[in-house]
Amino acid sequence: MIEAIVAGLAALLTPQALLFMLIGVVYGLVIGILPGLGGVVAMALLLPFTYGFETAATLALLLGAHIATIWGDSVTSILFSVPGSAKGLALCFDGYPMTKQGQAKRALAASATGALLGGVIGAIFLALCIPLIRPVILALGPSEYLMMALWGLTVIATFSEGSLMKGLTASVLGVLVAFVGMDVVTATPRFTFGTEFLMEGISFPVAMIGLFAVSEMMKLAIKGTPIVDRSLVREESTVWQGVRDGFSHWWLVVRSSLLGLWIGVLPGVGASVAGLAAYAQAVQTSKTPERFGKGAVEGVIAPDATMGANEGGGLMPTLAFGIPGGESMAILLVAFIGLGVVPGPDMLTKNLDLVFSMVWIIVIGNIMVTLIGLGITPWLARLPSLQANLMVPIVLAVCFVGAYATRGHIEDVLVAAVFGVVGYLMDKYRYSRANFVIGMVLAVMIERNLHISLTLYGNDFLLERPIALAMLAFVVVTAALPFVRNWRRKKRALAAGAASS
Amino acid sequence: MSRHAQENLASILLLAVFAGVIVLCQDFGARARMIPLPLAIFGIVLTLIQLVWHNFGSTEELQMDMISVHVPDVAAGEAPVAPIEKAPWWREFVAYGMIGILLALIFVTGVIPAAFLFTAGYFLVTRYCSWWRSLLYAAMLTASLYLLFVVALQMQPYHGLLAPLFP
Repeated sequence: MIEAIVAGLAALLTPQALLFMLIGVVYGLVIGILPGLGGVVAMALLLPFTYGFETAATLALLLGAHIATIWGDSVTSILFSVPGSAKGLALCFDGYPMTKQGQAKRALAASATGALLGGVIGAIFLALCIPLIRPVILALGPSEYLMMALWGLTVIATFSEGSLMKGLTASVLGVLVAFVGMDVVTATPRFTFGTEFLMEGISFPVAMIGLFAVSEMMKLAIKGTPIVDRSLVREESTVWQGVRDGFSHWWLVVRSSLLGLWIGVLPGVGASVAGLAAYAQAVQTSKTPERFGKGAVEGVIAPDATMGANEGGGLMPTLAFGIPGGESMAILLVAFIGLGVVPGPDMLTKNLDLVFSMVWIIVIGNIMVTLIGLGITPWLARLPSLQANLMVPIVLAVCFVGAYATRGHIEDVLVAAVFGVVGYLMDKYRYSRANFVIGMVLAVMIERNLHISLTLYGNDFLLERPIALAMLAFVVVTAALPFVRNWRRKKRALAAGAASS
Repeated sequence: MSRHAQENLASILLLAVFAGVIVLCQDFGARARMIPLPLAIFGIVLTLIQLVWHNFGSTEELQMDMISVHVPDVAAGEAPVAPIEKAPWWREFVAYGMIGILLALIFVTGVIPAAFLFTAGYFLVTRYCSWWRSLLYAAMLTASLYLLFVVALQMQPYHGLLAPLFP
């Protein structure tokens, strides 16, 4: 274990890995600060660059960018009350009032410090979990992994916002899209319509670029107006005030980080829930809850600490079981597939040093983000406006060139465009894109483990593997739970109505 | 078209997709269709429930929240979140057209020249900046893309349908 920890750090201390991490962090900050482009878009756009470099360096690029976007998202919520993505919403509640009171520097610095401390706690959790979870993972077979993937799929749809039917439909669509191409088990071309190009299947990175980056640009183009425009307020705070706030509220940071870890471990419960839950927790545990909503610094620290820790928690099911915690983890899983890294038992045996590299990336990446963030905070506090018309053509051009560069097929440009339109329509009609992507990623795991289970244990493999059978029962219970809850809630409401009348 | 009708249209489109999958699955062997076929049937069932609920039931019945996060009124009431502005309907078609134009440019002129033409054109049409700045920004972006993808990543650029005209 100690060897893996040292090897994981050593892999990151190469000039290439350090340079990639720095590029990732700077790029992530820029993308995060631009509203509409969140961590998912940042990672999707990086996927074409993940081939042909050292694995640790590539992960440093991807994870570094992702970590940086978390704080980048917070910047627009605090300065403009425009959350870069859903997870930044909680930062608007107190961050923006602080900006209006001339406390923007303090709010930004407190948010960066909270994210740093939360990120470090998340990384420590991930490192501590590895020896505990290793025996469990090694004891699981293909049938159990199959059930785990099915559970991941149903629980993700259940946890997703809005209609459960739409969430499940999006997951089903994602799984079906992943089956396009040659089936390696039966050598059957599926859904290829006789085209040679589709025999290779839909490229995951290209699909991600379309679903997230192209569709977000379409949304911005439709919106048309400047993303943000504001009148500046005289600044009356300093960066150091914010840093001190982060450390002086250490107990709030610890509580929020633990919450973030728990939410991160649950598949499908993304950082958007984490931010709001952290804010609610901060208000409920405060001795002066009346200050919240009017510029309380705790309202900035808590969501950022939670979102920082969320990454460490989210990496755990992704690495251990191949079940992504959210859409960004699904993209990371796509990158793993491209790099030939298989999550699961191998990750905690053969590739243990890589896991510790990721732990180190979270720590070093968070430190880099905080240092750069604190450095640019005084400049950000004076940022007056952001224009959509500058971003749309540039990002679209990068998207399509990147889609082509992934495999060198011109047809991939068409695929990116189609997925862009599909992503836009899914977003418009509230079919979760995250579920679609996670369905795509889990499809491979589901089919592979089903075939292996059938080959090893026959058609009655569930009876041969009682743990898998128990897990199937758990899947059914988890899927049915929201319906039962809804039914009970309705029954209670009816009873309350009858009692009052 | 009303939002209600659009939702119905989306459901019907999904039904067609799932039905198409079922038809295509008939050509596969038992193992190859072992997952896609039941999934497509499940998809049809889900979409039908969604369709029926959407038209005849309460939409609230479809909302499931496993984790209900209660943000106190003190915060929620005063949350200064920017109001969502509804964009005019024609802008959606402009966005589709924008993607179509970029695709056409890529297929006709090649990947890298299309980036220049599209970016410069977009800046000019939206009047984001003056014509010479538009050209300058577009040229800078194109040069960056060329250096990154063609020089650094050694991508073989696609030259487009016009390439044979320029030997």
